[in-house]
Amino acid sequence: MNENVYYWQKVMGNKVVSLELWKLKNAVEDSFQHEKSDNYKQKLVYNLLERVRNNDQKEFFYILLRALNKPKENFKELWKELKEKYDVMPEEAFINFAYSIIIGIMATYSGGE
Amino acid sequence: MLEAIKMLGEYETAKSEEEQNHLLQFTGNWFIDAGVLGFVNLMEEVYGWDLKEIVRSIDREKFYYTYFIYYIKKTTFDWINRQDLSKGIDEDKKSEFNKTKENLFKEIEKIIEKILKSNSKDKNVKEQIIEVNDSIRKAIKDSFKEYKDYLKKSFSNNKKTILQKIDEIGIIINEPFFQNLNFLNPTKNKKGKEIEVLNAFEKMIFEYKIKDKLTKNALDKTISKYLFSEEEFTNIPYCKIQTLNDLDKLTNYPSIIFLLSFPIVFNRIFDRNIFFYTNNLESCYHINKNIKIRIGKAENRSSDAIFKITWESIIDYITEQKGIFSLENMYLIEYENIQQQNLIGVEYIGIPKLQASILLDDTIRENLNRSIQYRKIKKQFEWKWLLEEFIKGKPLYPIILGHINLALNEEIIPNLSTCLYSLILEANMSEFKAEKEKQNGNLFSENYFDNYKSLINEIKEDLRFTSFKASLINQISKDMDTKKRIARELFNALKARDKNIFLNILLKNMNEDKKLYSNDNLNSWIFEKIIKNDISFEMYCLILVMNLLRGEKR
Repeated sequence: MNENVYYWQKVMGNKVVSLELWKLKNAVEDSFQHEKSDNYKQKLVYNLLERVRNNDQKEFFYILLRALNKPKENFKELWKELKEKYDVMPEEAFINFAYSIIIGIMATYSGGE
Repeated sequence: MLEAIKMLGEYETAKSEEEQNHLLQFTGNWFIDAGVLGFVNLMEEVYGWDLKEIVRSIDREKFYYTYFIYYIKKTTFDWINRQDLSKGIDEDKKSEFNKTKENLFKEIEKIIEKILKSNSKDKNVKEQIIEVNDSIRKAIKDSFKEYKDYLKKSFSNNKKTILQKIDEIGIIINEPFFQNLNFLNPTKNKKGKEIEVLNAFEKMIFEYKIKDKLTKNALDKTISKYLFSEEEFTNIPYCKIQTLNDLDKLTNYPSIIFLLSFPIVFNRIFDRNIFFYTNNLESCYHINKNIKIRIGKAENRSSDAIFKITWESIIDYITEQKGIFSLENMYLIEYENIQQQNLIGVEYIGIPKLQASILLDDTIRENLNRSIQYRKIKKQFEWKWLLEEFIKGKPLYPIILGHINLALNEEIIPNLSTCLYSLILEANMSEFKAEKEKQNGNLFSENYFDNYKSLINEIKEDLRFTSFKASLINQISKDMDTKKRIARELFNALKARDKNIFLNILLKNMNEDKKLYSNDNLNSWIFEKIIKNDISFEMYCLILVMNLLRGEKR
């Protein structure tokens, strides 16, 4: 499945910027691993899903960034990913981008195991 | 001594090379090859020889004689078999009439058998042909005499009955494909002028004199409907027209034999004439023979059934021969009929190599070899044979979508395993094609030698993983009605081709059950196959919907 590694890529100046969804998903998973409350994450996911549904990018990032605005916790990797990617991402890639984040969060539910 | 052995060895190879050159082989040009196979069929039909024997005995004189015997028999059989031969016969007389026809067939067979057995050397070939012709003419006249008033005028543009026709024609031969040969024209081929027709034929076969005007031995519409007439060839001012002598150099044989045998190769089936072509004489021979036998046995003669039989014969042969048989250059050539000297409804259907390679896999083929319902019109289900669509290179996804829709409406029980195979097959193929397209222009890339074998492995691996991982979705609820509701919502999103809404509904419903969602198998599968995938996500979405219907009790 090599062809899907780079979902999207673009040359900016002399630098190739690419949107690698699996990298993004992994960063989300690593970051939210530390968040222990399933209920909190569940609510967050609901909110995010609602924004993607309406294709509301502004609100989506507002909610997401608010959730990440915790300097004491280890969100650094995800910050880095977002910083590099979110403003250069083309419109049509938003859905794939957003769902990769959501599914990343959902993968960290402890699920009563 | 050693040298002698060496020389002997060289002689042996030289001999076999020479022999090889004289073996009947396909030329790679379907048009000539069809004639070669037509010739093989002709000899087999008349003498019952097998392929090896026929290949050894190619001779103009033998052909000349055999050709007429074959066509006289074929034409009379066709005429007697005509649906509109008679009219207004009472029911009780009808069975008698049918019996007369049966007896007539037997009599004609006997006449031909007799002449073939006698094969007297002292008699001239032409005399023998005329003798057969006359005996058959007499047999038909005698048999139908008492039904004179019941015969319908369905010959010569509905102006003549079979009796009038047979009384008027010279050599009983009717081949619409060769209407352009002027000596077969009804005005020339008249009773009493048989010897002239035979002479003209002789000139054509032995001296290559086909027509009087322009190039006498031209390879044009006179000899084959698939070509232009000499006047119509656009490149004549620049180069000379191809002649039969040119063609001889290509085939190493008198090519006229093959050109005249061309129409024989087509199997007349229902409403069309079919010929399967591939670039190997033996395979081509076996497949066409197989098609003919199966069609002869078939009870249902609708065009769909015929199509199925044809492809089944081909696929059976491909599977039997596996390694030996080349998958390339397989074509089905069809025409409906001949009108006004032109071929109507000509079609060339090729089997793409990609499809053919996939069909070699037993499990995949067996799963595709099913007909499934895909829509309902006026309370009647309509069916599609998946293998047919696949061979034609048509997408399977819309059919499966229709099938699942019927299942959601509780009209049918879905065939989930066939659906799964079809969808995964299509998903992998479209990814494969997209990958190839991306590499276009990149000549010696990884996939330069179409790596179909690895594709089959990928499909199988995907099947294994997907059938397990996607089935986990079934745990979304214990209640069948809830699952059905979700399936219906997802299906509608899919129908609208809205990936966003589909994922939204899916994740929202899954979000309710934290346990399910933390399942890494399902989670990563959705990410890989749907979120990340923009080429074939629809097929995987449908697999999820399908899995929600699993375990439904009826």
